[in-house]
Amino acid sequence: MFTSAQLHLAKVFLKIFLRNRQSIFFSMLFPLIFTGVFFFSGGPPDPIKLGLVNMSQSTIASQFTDLVIAEPSFDVTKGSLVNLKEELIIGDQTAIILIPENFTSFEGTADLSLILDASQVRQASAIQETLNNSLLTIERDVRGIKPMFNLVVEDVQARPQRYIDFLLPGILAYMLMNLCIAGSGFNIVEYRRRGILKRLFVTPIQPKDFIVAIILSRMVIVLTQISVMLGLAIMLLDINVVGGLPSLYGMVILGTFIFLCIGFFLGSLAKTQEAIQPIVALTSFPQLILSGVFFPISSMHEFIQPIAHILPLSVVVSGLRSITNDGMALFTLNSTTVGVVIWMAISFLVAIKYFVWKEVAN
Amino acid sequence: MLGPNGAGKTSTLEMLEGMNDIDGGSATINGLDVSQNSYEVKKIIGVQLQANEYFDRLNLIELLILFGKLYSQEIDPIALLQGVNLAEKANAKPEELSGGQKQRFSIACALVNNPKVLFLDEPTTGLDPQAKRNLWQLIKDLNSDGMTVVLTTHNMEEAEYLCDRIAIMDQGKIVAEDTPQNLILKYAPEPPQAALHGNIEDVFLALTGHELRD
Repeated sequence: MFTSAQLHLAKVFLKIFLRNRQSIFFSMLFPLIFTGVFFFSGGPPDPIKLGLVNMSQSTIASQFTDLVIAEPSFDVTKGSLVNLKEELIIGDQTAIILIPENFTSFEGTADLSLILDASQVRQASAIQETLNNSLLTIERDVRGIKPMFNLVVEDVQARPQRYIDFLLPGILAYMLMNLCIAGSGFNIVEYRRRGILKRLFVTPIQPKDFIVAIILSRMVIVLTQISVMLGLAIMLLDINVVGGLPSLYGMVILGTFIFLCIGFFLGSLAKTQEAIQPIVALTSFPQLILSGVFFPISSMHEFIQPIAHILPLSVVVSGLRSITNDGMALFTLNSTTVGVVIWMAISFLVAIKYFVWKEVAN
Repeated sequence: MLGPNGAGKTSTLEMLEGMNDIDGGSATINGLDVSQNSYEVKKIIGVQLQANEYFDRLNLIELLILFGKLYSQEIDPIALLQGVNLAEKANAKPEELSGGQKQRFSIACALVNNPKVLFLDEPTTGLDPQAKRNLWQLIKDLNSDGMTVVLTTHNMEEAEYLCDRIAIMDQGKIVAEDTPQNLILKYAPEPPQAALHGNIEDVFLALTGHELRD
């Protein structure tokens, strides 16, 4: 299947990678940071630090104050407006609630003032929302009213539906794209600039041999990196690959192939190391936004959706997501797998056709 | 192949090596038409390029084995390194070699497939006199062992010392081709001064003019 020259060249590329300690260190760092962030950001959010100033002498006000203090999502400090304002400015409080003097009866609507430091509270609107919800619940308690309903959210297929379950396949695919394009595109420009490619091609090897060798060696590297990421995610983030690991790895291999070939094409397009950076950014950044890595494509503007759906990253993201979340098998025939096959063909053809090895920058 | 900068020496060499398309005329190596059989031609030639850089993080032995594999051949890297007097550097990386050692190593790489024709593109440019003489000896030895060597240079002394035939190129054309001795007889200025001053450099300047190139 593979010639001995291809296999040996692949082994050499692997050796070169393994001897570069720095690149190994950084390639393992990203999965660690990513899973670490999600692992440690789990759990209930910290309580909001709330200063409370009660200007009213009424029983309703003190009853209300007690309930606010008892509310678990607040960490309440009672005090005078002057002191609390100082604490707010230095950041010891997140917000101050001011209960006005006329907070005396259930009749009429009293204005509760919420004092914020806009420069410190970046998520002011999120805090206001939490406050508003908690205060409404407290109001019901004070008035002795039972809530009319509770909103209970259920998934149609009884899957766990955390954001991380949606996000992980997208991040895997994005990681795959970056690793591959860096592995083929950047390398090839550098090898060509230094005349290494030219030296290789005065021997009887062909672009095909070179491309196959890089694909083989990168496949080993990428599968290792993805395995680390996936292993951490399964152990620490309780990710469940519904469609099974073999299908997932199959899709990762197909994606690796697509992105490596795209990398070769971009590497042939760029004449210099300076040119490859913006060319890669221009192809990967729009895909990061448009390929449904962070939020579903169906939530985008309608005229952009048809374009977003056919991007290479989109088909790989949706393939991985179908496998991890919906339990799709790799060889299911649907629009996603057809898209993957079409992109494999396109990327391989352009990689071979436009492969440039003999231009040496002077 | 002797010529000023930009005369087309490297382009001609690359056409012979099957790297550039031949846009006029034809080239034959060992009976093979280069434009028809560039793949077969590559198997029987050895090439040393002007830029001799290699993959990072590999030592000389590993690089030689790699080049052997590209010809699907198992080679003895130490014997090859001994042949170019680099055996003690076997575990060094190319970037740790001096200029002369680097050139000798690139010749070792070009010899992995025991080629019939060896192409050297300005092999001694930038070398000190000792390294230059050493490389000349290596080339002479290879030649006397039966290998055809095609080299480009703009060093007159080198052409005169090494070559059995010299082609002088200018502006993409061969303007003269013969043995060094015949070229001197034919083109060097006539006596009385000629007997003292006639050398290949005079021939070269007479044919290509005195104005600066590049």
